[in-house]
Amino acid sequence: MRITATPVAAPVQRTPAAVRRRSLLALVIDALLWVFLVGAVALVLVPVAFMFVASFMPPAEIFRSPFPWWPSRLYLENFLHALRGNDGRYLFVRTILNSTFVALSISFATVMLATLTGYSLAKLPFKGRTIVFLLILSTLMIPFETIMIPLYIVVTNIGLQDTYPGLIVPFLVSAFGVFLMRQTLLAFPDELLDAARIDGASEFGIFWRIVLPNAVPAMAVLGVLTFQSQWDNLIWPLLVVQSDSLKTIPLYIAAFTEEKHTNEGAMVAVAAIASLPMLILFVSLSRYFLRGANLFSATKG
Amino acid sequence: MTRRRLKLNTSVQGRQAIWGWVFVIPALAFFSLFAFYPIGNAVYMGFHRKSVLSLRPPQFVGLQNYLDLFNSPAFWNAWKATTIFTLGTFIPLVVFSLLLAVLIVSRKRFQRFFQVTLYSPAVVPGVVAALVWMLMLDPRGLANQWVNFVLGTPGIDHRWLASASMVRLSTMVVYFWGYLGFFTIIYIAGLGGIPATLKEAARIDGANALQEFRYVTLPLLTPTTLLVSVMSMIFCMRTFSTQYMFTQAGAPTEPINVVTLFIFNTAIRDHQLGMASAMSILLLLVMFFFATLQFLASRRAAG
Repeated sequence: MRITATPVAAPVQRTPAAVRRRSLLALVIDALLWVFLVGAVALVLVPVAFMFVASFMPPAEIFRSPFPWWPSRLYLENFLHALRGNDGRYLFVRTILNSTFVALSISFATVMLATLTGYSLAKLPFKGRTIVFLLILSTLMIPFETIMIPLYIVVTNIGLQDTYPGLIVPFLVSAFGVFLMRQTLLAFPDELLDAARIDGASEFGIFWRIVLPNAVPAMAVLGVLTFQSQWDNLIWPLLVVQSDSLKTIPLYIAAFTEEKHTNEGAMVAVAAIASLPMLILFVSLSRYFLRGANLFSATKG
Repeated sequence: MTRRRLKLNTSVQGRQAIWGWVFVIPALAFFSLFAFYPIGNAVYMGFHRKSVLSLRPPQFVGLQNYLDLFNSPAFWNAWKATTIFTLGTFIPLVVFSLLLAVLIVSRKRFQRFFQVTLYSPAVVPGVVAALVWMLMLDPRGLANQWVNFVLGTPGIDHRWLASASMVRLSTMVVYFWGYLGFFTIIYIAGLGGIPATLKEAARIDGANALQEFRYVTLPLLTPTTLLVSVMSMIFCMRTFSTQYMFTQAGAPTEPINVVTLFIFNTAIRDHQLGMASAMSILLLLVMFFFATLQFLASRRAAG
């Protein structure tokens, strides 16, 4: 398989004749294309902009027609209401901590286990390696939604429903992660590993001190993708969590929007608070996110 | 020297084989418990009747769960809802992500900026996306204001979350918004794989931009288009959050009661674990078919 990096468009080189042929019409078309592209991007950003602007508005302004697009005054009560909750228990704060804890644990474990497994499948020849690889690969074709109920039955049977382990354990290894790390480490130079062996390093020492530090970029991509998908996870917590103290952000939002005393201002503030960490993470690490999107699509090759 | 090296190699290989197994055992144990066993169990449960609340062991009922499903209008409605949603979402996704990718690549500046901005909805949690869109689709919200402005029909409520066909359209819009950037990025990677020399050659032969797109870019992008099509179809069939949030907020359930939501409700609201398992197996078979297509498509995309 071929891993495609985000491409940089090759600079179009024009012959002098072609430059002269660039008529006014071409310029007009070019300008129209710019307008179309900028317009499309602006449209895509409308919901995000709406969310952040509305979160600073008094609830009555959110549905004013036409929408003001700028708060008449900075109204922070939405955020206070969002954090306090309708019952004043600050459950949302707890929820944010839960989501952070669960997503971080899963990301960390997934990255470590996938790297370990991927390294073994790429670099340590053992009998049955191909079969193990194919077994793991086959689970890549199983979308989570198709095994959620069977998984729910298993987790209930081992008594993990409504616990942190129940939220975390089903996601500790991802087939995509194993596959990604194996592909990445296939290109790792054998000479380095052999040199370490001759120097008497243990196999785990080699993995820990030589392979791991060199796999950091791929691990970062996997970590970021895993964190994002867990921050977004609604369906699994919906199945396994019953107590308020274990709720994650999506679960909390789904319930909060249905409560009687939730007004639109508090709703949109909750939404803004929930997406802000992801948007900040995305803008600062966009390289990894975009590479991740490409790797994710290339995985099944 | 050679002899020593050989000796070292054999002992090292034995050691490597052992450690190789040691390193994959955690993952294997994990996949056995949380992937293979559940699927096996689902096949078993599909032939049994089991309620969440009852302590009685599952009762063997043969094909009854499947027969009940095939005789249930709700089951067929779920497939209909998923099919309509998938068709209505993935086709615009493929078309517009291709269009945007070609446009972005044709720009000499701000390529990175466009990619990052278009992708940003994909990192907004699905629940948040559904919630923000629900506020915009409210009868008093932005959607009515803008659509009425464009159509010149002031004061009309388009019933985005109330009428059967509009609520379908609304879920499609939310999903389209969320994944447009994702597939644009994949198309941009595909476009990067087309040798610039081919486009140059077409230009020198006198092709204009449209002809170049039609006769050079599009045919060479076929593998990427296949990949994007199958992937977006699989994504659409997995949709859950939007439909869940909309129905929770009181939107009519039937038009958007997609398969995932139907399975969830069968298991959790109706406590029918056997039925939900049977349904899961059927969904798994359908998804497996599409996943195989995707595998073949990405093989081609990778060349």
